[in-house]
Amino acid sequence: MTQPEAADGDLVAMAIRGNPDAFAVLVERYDRAVYHLAFRTLHDVEEARDVTQEAFFKAFRSLRTFKPGAKFSTWIFAIAYHACCDRLNRRKRYASEEMPDRADAGPGPEQQAIALDEAQRLRTAIDALPEKYRTVITLYHLQGRQYEEIAQVLGLPMGTVKTHLFRAKEQLRRLLSGAEVTEQ
Amino acid sequence: MMYRDDDALDRALFALPLEEPPADLRASILTTTAYRPAPMFSVTEITLFGAMAAIIVWLVALIAMGGGSLFVHTISAIVSTVARPLSNVTTLAWLGAGAATAFWLTFFTGSQPFTLASQRVGQRAR
Repeated sequence: MTQPEAADGDLVAMAIRGNPDAFAVLVERYDRAVYHLAFRTLHDVEEARDVTQEAFFKAFRSLRTFKPGAKFSTWIFAIAYHACCDRLNRRKRYASEEMPDRADAGPGPEQQAIALDEAQRLRTAIDALPEKYRTVITLYHLQGRQYEEIAQVLGLPMGTVKTHLFRAKEQLRRLLSGAEVTEQ
Repeated sequence: MMYRDDDALDRALFALPLEEPPADLRASILTTTAYRPAPMFSVTEITLFGAMAAIIVWLVALIAMGGGSLFVHTISAIVSTVARPLSNVTTLAWLGAGAATAFWLTFFTGSQPFTLASQRVGQRAR
């Protein structure tokens, strides 16, 4: 029987030993967060779903390569993030679709914000960030202030992550205060 | 609401609810990973079936090309080659001793063939 409160590392060890329930607990713990990261990066329900499934499948198949002492969340987020990058590159290559390095099409955050609640306003503002800032903010939201882990997921130096985060917050504040002005 | 400082923005960010994934996502992840159905046949069984199928194809081709006499001749040659050492009592005694020793050794290695086979049958039934 798997302890639902067991540490991630122990669950990975149990899953390697052939306990399917241990991996199921890991899926229960992180499927929502991985989906959130994929959806925030790709802005497409179907693709986010595929990426989430792909990430867990890859993790399951390479459980033996998981380094003891590493964080499962960082590992699964890194797998999902790389899958997202592959999809974004494919979009760029084959569909001549613009990389989401800009605000989404449709009404801008200022127009939408009036009718939306606080969380939705924040989401809309995050969506309006360039892709690199959006991903950093999304991971900051998921991982908390674990800069080193965010850097590991993105494969960037910690200094770059901190800079991206600083600029992302700055832009967020600007976008949100812009909405505030519109509301008044 | 204004986010004048970092803390206010952080609080708002951390309070942001995660996206709701599609309802069947978790189930579909689990059926492709932890709870995927056990394969019908193991690699050894597939290899065995493949070898048997190859032999059958070979025999059918032999009959089609050379008629019945060549087929009978080939089969009898194979049977006599296989049966010659097996008809020797000493060879059979050595084979028996080898099999018994191998089986006895499995008690120490923990890879009991009969136990593993029954476990796999149980897994498939589940």
